Amino acid sequence: MLELFIQQILNGLTIGMVYALIALGYTMVYGVIQLINFAHGEVFMVGAYLALTVMWIFASLFPGAPFWLVLISLLLFSMLGSAVLGAAIEKIAYRPLRGSPKLTALITSIGVSFFLQNAVMLIYGLKEQSVPEIIPDVRWHLGDLSFSLIQLIIFATSLGLMFFLSWFIKHTRTGKAMRACAQDPEAAQLVGISVNQIIRTTFVLGSMLAAVGGALFGMYYGSINFHDGYLAGLKAFTAAVFGGIGSVPGAMIGGILLGVFEGLGAGYISSEWKDVFAFLLLGAVLIFKPSGILGEPLPDKV
Amino acid sequence: MKEFVKRFLAALSLLFLAVLFCGAGEKEDFVTIGFVAPLTGDQAYIGTGVLYGAQIAVEDANIKGPVFGNTRLKFAPLDDQHNPTQAVLAANKLSADPNVMGVVGHFNSSCTKAASSIYHETRVVQITPASTNPEISRQGFDTFFRVCATDDVQAPAAADFVWKELQAKKIVIVDDKTTYGKGLADEFEKKFKKLGGVVLSHDGITQGEKDFTPLLTKIKSLGPELVYFGGIYPELSLLLKQSRKVGLETPWMGGDGIYDVTLIRLATPELAEGTYATMLGVDPHSLPGARDFITRFEARHGEIGSFSAYGYDAANVLIEAIRRAGKKDREAVLREVRNTKDFQGVLGVINFDEKGDAVGRSVGIFKVEKGKFKFLQEYKP
Amino acid sequence: MSLSRIKSKHPFFFQVVLFLFPFVLLPILDKNIYHIDLLTSVGIYVLLAMGLNVAVGFTGLLNLGYAAFFALGAYTYALLNLHWGCPFWIGLPIAGAVSMVFGVVIGLPSIRVRGDYLAITTLGFGEIVRISFNNLDEWTGGPNGILGIDRPQLWLPVFKGGFHWKLWSFSVNPTPYFYLVLALVAVTAYLLFRMSDSKMGRALVAIREDELAASCMGIPTLKIKLIAFGLSSFIAGIAGAVFASKQTIVTPDSFDFVLSVLILAMVVLGGMGNIWGSALGALVLGTLPELLRGFAAYRMLLFGLLMILMMIFRPQGILGGQLIRRELASRQKEADHESA
Repeated sequence: MLELFIQQILNGLTIGMVYALIALGYTMVYGVIQLINFAHGEVFMVGAYLALTVMWIFASLFPGAPFWLVLISLLLFSMLGSAVLGAAIEKIAYRPLRGSPKLTALITSIGVSFFLQNAVMLIYGLKEQSVPEIIPDVRWHLGDLSFSLIQLIIFATSLGLMFFLSWFIKHTRTGKAMRACAQDPEAAQLVGISVNQIIRTTFVLGSMLAAVGGALFGMYYGSINFHDGYLAGLKAFTAAVFGGIGSVPGAMIGGILLGVFEGLGAGYISSEWKDVFAFLLLGAVLIFKPSGILGEPLPDKV
Repeated sequence: MKEFVKRFLAALSLLFLAVLFCGAGEKEDFVTIGFVAPLTGDQAYIGTGVLYGAQIAVEDANIKGPVFGNTRLKFAPLDDQHNPTQAVLAANKLSADPNVMGVVGHFNSSCTKAASSIYHETRVVQITPASTNPEISRQGFDTFFRVCATDDVQAPAAADFVWKELQAKKIVIVDDKTTYGKGLADEFEKKFKKLGGVVLSHDGITQGEKDFTPLLTKIKSLGPELVYFGGIYPELSLLLKQSRKVGLETPWMGGDGIYDVTLIRLATPELAEGTYATMLGVDPHSLPGARDFITRFEARHGEIGSFSAYGYDAANVLIEAIRRAGKKDREAVLREVRNTKDFQGVLGVINFDEKGDAVGRSVGIFKVEKGKFKFLQEYKP
Repeated sequence: MSLSRIKSKHPFFFQVVLFLFPFVLLPILDKNIYHIDLLTSVGIYVLLAMGLNVAVGFTGLLNLGYAAFFALGAYTYALLNLHWGCPFWIGLPIAGAVSMVFGVVIGLPSIRVRGDYLAITTLGFGEIVRISFNNLDEWTGGPNGILGIDRPQLWLPVFKGGFHWKLWSFSVNPTPYFYLVLALVAVTAYLLFRMSDSKMGRALVAIREDELAASCMGIPTLKIKLIAFGLSSFIAGIAGAVFASKQTIVTPDSFDFVLSVLILAMVVLGGMGNIWGSALGALVLGTLPELLRGFAAYRMLLFGLLMILMMIFRPQGILGGQLIRRELASRQKEADHESA
């Protein structure tokens, strides 16, 4: 019984890492421009499809390539592709609306989300796409527990990227500039920070993380679908709010916790209500503690 | 006032534009055969396969000449996206067309059931090629017919096989909560328990769901000898893939909904190996009557789907009935469908019972071996 | 009573009758069942768009889960009918009431939160409702939904062979539904017009424009917002019951997020806050998929593009900005009077 419990937690942590990666993008963007970027879930999904494409290329041109080479290539490629996508979305859809009311930008982001979903559907087809098994099926057993290589890779990659991001925000100039913009964009501009550039960097960073999440997601579940971004995005947003929107460590913790709760809920109560847990959690957090676990209470401007 | 007039005219013109665009009616001597199946969406592949089958039947008939007098056949396919609401809309549309004398459809049991009350209301005969849920014919609609076996034959056949041949005593059941999937799983459970088997758990998943690892982990901890799945191949292929990830090695079994080469492709032949399935009837490739049809089909459309031959037979039953009716009258066509006797379809002889079910349809048991579905045995009720 | 007299004394009544009268004639002039059916569906969209407009357009409350309230109305009537044989005309107001209650219940805690958070909460609510209907198969039929819902029935007087009443039921023919929906649209439009010109209406606009200032002026913002949200949900519930009775079947996947966004797009396209705008938005976006049958695959793509372009280039929609303009114009007239 204990083993089943630990196994569910392990599995929950795995998906939680992916949620965390996506949540980081939401939280950073919200931090700098107070926008809920609906399209972020689609960037995650595109990342998964880009990774798949790389796998196809390897399969047809270099079938003998070692798996770690394929893995690194697809991660880099999907990061690159989504960075471009994220920057493009920011420039085309959000920047023109910089001064507009929040409602307008939110509606636009929904439009971008629909557009991307449909674009991917038209390019890659309606059906579920099977993701080839790149990672060898190596599993470690401890009694009834099993932990697989793919899970290890997900853990390592996600944690690595999260630590990198934390370091980046804390110790580099750009990171400092990002924090400044999140705190007070006008003051940041006064001290010479190019707010536009920082915003773009934020989008790019967030998109890259989401793309890695997408690639890992595809490999873990073995198949992807153009609709995956919507649900994963919503859950990751829940995680970001749960952890405290605008807070980077909050997004990480929120994502991981959400994954675990979801896994436990699905395993012990019922898997069909899995998504409802996430939404109820979201509602509860938004209503009772909108600042989340690690967030600061948001002041009411008078 | 000017603003008012402007807006008023705008509204009027929009209205007339809409009317214009929707096209005018046509006048010709023909009779329409309606057809509904999922033609877009994730089951488009299956639905289109059935469509081609029915379409070939209509085209064949027209080549031979008018179906009666100098009336020819027209084929009107509609898409229901395996959504019962869309199915009702399609049924409404077809019923409203006075040229429609009968409908081949729908494909999914949930859609066929939903649409059946509309067809009953509008007296349009409905022949489904592949909806297996027994409830549909128990509603007492005299307009409903089907050319395939039903789940109260298919599922018990599977239960017998699992109990006797595979000697499995403890199993787990999963269904996708659709009319078809749940119906099939419930029938299986009933028979299996009657034989003395133990059902360790019976869970539901939702079509379109992605992450089954918590459920599969739970199933693994129960240690079943087999998992019976009431559902279709998209979900099963995910289940098979993720089973591997959590270390669940038990064989799976499903019904006609998983009997498709795409399952093997999506789940990879390696993971699909050893999966069992029941199918309505034996493999068409083995039937001499079907060979000609399959060859022609594959020449035109490539790989033939599992249900294309059913579409062909269903359409032909309807066409024959129209021919015998000899006039453009829905009640007459309905009567003739009911009077169908010993109709020679490519999948065998078709007779209908008083509920509209096809009589004596057999069920085949298959197993995935080396990347293909291999026929194991036939089960005749 | 001259026409201009009616127009000035009852401007809204006049407007509503003027714009909707051509539709009364439609089934008489055009016998094509398909057209009537399409316009009936569009009519239901018009109701929904008008309803959402009350929350989003008038009050600035972004509801991304509007489809859930539509679903609640539809399922309420369906369940009442299935289990207790409740006739349509009784089920209709109950459906509206149920949706309204949910609207208030969801609104109470959520309306206090910031605008974009309300959006997400309502989105979550929309998904919760849909998933719940999908999962609770014992009560709601699960993914297969509820079948065999009764159509509306009326007692009609029959004079032939002695006077008596005959029970007549709606059928597959959409024409009676068309008139039902038309009547509902007319009543709703009229009531919304009256409301927009009342103290309540002005309060809503004030809250939308600057909530803080509005509350400083003594407007009980929370109460007013709840009323708006509740009214908006009520309309959705009514539309839901009509929808269920026309389809005779309800399934959870008819009420998904895409529908909520579609209705929002109708409101935005037509002009937020503008009643005829919502109707126009519904007419355009409701008929467009039919006209573009061949482009079904690109539907979402174009839709997304439309939303992006609209927000960048004309966020006030086609007929938007009217309310503000009219306000300014009348204020200008008053100013002129003063100075004269």
